[in-house]
Amino acid sequence: MATDITVKIGGAAGQGIQTVGAILAQACRLGGLQVLAVNDFESRIRGGHSFVQLRISDRPVAAPSRETHLLVAMDDNSVARHGDTLDPRGRILCEASNRETEGRTVFLPFTEMAKGVGGRILANTVAAGAALSLLDAPLDLCRKAVAEHFGKTETGRLEKNLAAVEAGHSAMAAAHAAAWPVPWQSTAPATILMDGARALALGALAGDCRLAAFYPMSPATGIMAHLASLADRFPLAVEQAEDELAAANMMVGAAFAGVRAMTATSGGGFCLMTEALGLAAMTETPVVIVNAQRPGPATGLPTRTGQGDLLFAIHASQDEFPRFVFAPGSPDQAFAVMQRAFELSDKYQVPAIVLVDQYFNDSLFTIGKWKSPESVRHYVVADGDMADPAAYRRFEAVPDGVSPRALPCRGQALVVACSDEHREDGHISETIADRNRMVEKRNAKGPAMMGEMTPPERYGDPDGLMLIGWGSTLGALRESVDLLRADGLTASALHFTDLWPFPADAVKAALEGARIRVMVEQNGSAQLGRLIREQTGIDHHGAVLKTDGRPFYPADIARQAAAMAKSA
Amino acid sequence: MDTRDRYESDFDSEWCPGCGNFGILEAMKDALASLNIAPHGVLMVSGIGQAAKTPHFLRCNTFHSLHGRALPAATGAKLANRDLTIIVNSGDGDCYGEGGNHFIHAIRRNVDLTLLVHNNGVYGLTKGQASPTSTVGMVTRIQHHGVTSDPFNPLAVALTLGCGFVARGFSGDREHLSHLIQAGIEHRGFSLIDIFQPCVSFNKINTFVWYKDRVERLDPLQERAPDDRQRALTLAEQTGDRLPIGIFYQEEKPTFMDRMPGLAAPPLVDRHYDAGRLQAVLDS
Repeated sequence: MATDITVKIGGAAGQGIQTVGAILAQACRLGGLQVLAVNDFESRIRGGHSFVQLRISDRPVAAPSRETHLLVAMDDNSVARHGDTLDPRGRILCEASNRETEGRTVFLPFTEMAKGVGGRILANTVAAGAALSLLDAPLDLCRKAVAEHFGKTETGRLEKNLAAVEAGHSAMAAAHAAAWPVPWQSTAPATILMDGARALALGALAGDCRLAAFYPMSPATGIMAHLASLADRFPLAVEQAEDELAAANMMVGAAFAGVRAMTATSGGGFCLMTEALGLAAMTETPVVIVNAQRPGPATGLPTRTGQGDLLFAIHASQDEFPRFVFAPGSPDQAFAVMQRAFELSDKYQVPAIVLVDQYFNDSLFTIGKWKSPESVRHYVVADGDMADPAAYRRFEAVPDGVSPRALPCRGQALVVACSDEHREDGHISETIADRNRMVEKRNAKGPAMMGEMTPPERYGDPDGLMLIGWGSTLGALRESVDLLRADGLTASALHFTDLWPFPADAVKAALEGARIRVMVEQNGSAQLGRLIREQTGIDHHGAVLKTDGRPFYPADIARQAAAMAKSA
Repeated sequence: MDTRDRYESDFDSEWCPGCGNFGILEAMKDALASLNIAPHGVLMVSGIGQAAKTPHFLRCNTFHSLHGRALPAATGAKLANRDLTIIVNSGDGDCYGEGGNHFIHAIRRNVDLTLLVHNNGVYGLTKGQASPTSTVGMVTRIQHHGVTSDPFNPLAVALTLGCGFVARGFSGDREHLSHLIQAGIEHRGFSLIDIFQPCVSFNKINTFVWYKDRVERLDPLQERAPDDRQRALTLAEQTGDRLPIGIFYQEEKPTFMDRMPGLAAPPLVDRHYDAGRLQAVLDS
């Protein structure tokens, strides 16, 4: 029987919930297990309620599960909030002094014990030790996990946390047997824990990004924090701009001058950047924009997840121009997609937008080892590539639309670009001939761009019920299919990472045979479903939609989809 | 051959006869010629407006961007290639209105570029609306009862922000202006040159004659840079019948790129991707 345990740690913001989650996640990694840690927090620094839920298994996990086996409640509110998600054999670990076990609830005085080893601030580490004991983790694994998590902090702090985890573990082990037989291993782990934001940052470095300009906005800031922490080791400038307009325009200016450039924001920031997106398109300057989505409109739910910006990303900015839109579904895909975004944006001189979301950015995934690309190809020309640099025209009307791109101040060739419509030499023009020429030239890139698109990937049986989704719901989609098939249904998932240009022919072929098509999206109107209908004429039969800002649970998708299949 | 000829562009001018932009354009060419900066050695970045069209009328590398966004675009370019000589052509609306926030923060960063603000106290390209520097009471097709808001004082704002080169010129005094531009380009750091100019079509108050009657050169361009910020501020607040022009204040301080230890020479655009360097991070 496979291991599949969910541990939930709940408390108020400021109680160090995320630290408990991080220590447990490290323990899982070091113990040879797979873990997915999902963070749920409010837009505040203190108080309220936040929780981390870790799904632990001996097999890869790619989605959270609703049933909780162990609830670590750092405050009473957490019991009230999550008590009803407890599995019949679930346990609650709570803070209290001198209180006997009551049914499934076990008590430990975390704060008192913490004071005993160095201070009340260590209460969360005490709780982590106690939780790990209930999960049958050996003490020495707990110590290793704490050392791994606190390793790079000042010495005193690590010692205290080691003492704290030991105190929690010993106290629990003395009073209670482990609640579940989790198969901890002692061999050196081959996996890495990574949050989605870091996957995007590393992908950017693999794409030879050299300028990241941004304005802080949840849930995108983590990407820039990771890049900033790595900047000293790379030819990379990370600049916090005064607003999103500056960030986006700095990105375009830097790319114009010759480096691969990006920004990362959320929907509201992307709204502000739309004019600059058009500037990149009009000047045919390659840029990569990451939109880490959250529910809107306006400020919306700043720390929660959603997929409401798909059609916005495809159509953003006035008038029309070619662009790429990608939506990776996992850290592995994000690492690859970022490289493709930089490569293709450079190659075709069009903007590339990468859609992720809060669930993806803030969750901790277990991944394998990645390989850096051997080399990165750049698509620029210099004087030496030209017959006559003095005659260089930046927007030369070539059949495939991709005019050779020289860089300013690198040679005799003068580079002239403007945001107005223009002549081949880059100077402003309003003539009908020049306008038509440039519109045609920009659009001429289309067919080749389409050729670069990866078709959606299918998982499962070709006929029957098909769950269709995009971006970070990849794991939930696949697990939903597994659940449906376990119940005897013929089911598959079709997952999109490449959204624009829309590979209509490949999509039509992929949809063939699916008897019942059900969209699974975190927006209110099934935006991918609308896109598929518009581009292929094929409609969906139903939709499982979620707009509450929380990630999908596979069981919920499977239940709703199965009901649709029954009534179809 | 006059070295100024190499800047001549065959792109037809779009300015009205008598526009102050012509004087500014010629002063720019004078400065570039004096400094012997070749057309391919300079990047001109501009926003949107009649002033922002300036780069099209001389031979140079050009990034004619969006309304108000010349400074961030120029900052991005500077980050990519610290060796670029960048001149920004903007207007009072483009720079002090739409681009106001970027004006403030580019000065804070001390980005090494030369900003020429073609200040004609009106929106010319869009046909006559008031701008942040319009005179109170000026009547326009939009401001029927006259402009009511107090004018933006760019020199005072720049001085208060600690700008290291603050100057004002006049499109009608080409020789003086060309020296200012030359000094601005030579200055290491952000150089602001606010340039009074008439708009013959839409500003009937601040005409060429109006300026001619009021501007006076601060003093012969002295050898020592003016270093008294309080005096400069006092001069900047003279907005009545005597309008000083010249270098109000100059101070050299670390530039934006100087302050980025990891971005010392060579420029980012000349660096290389290294698979091993990234693999070390991926493996950690």
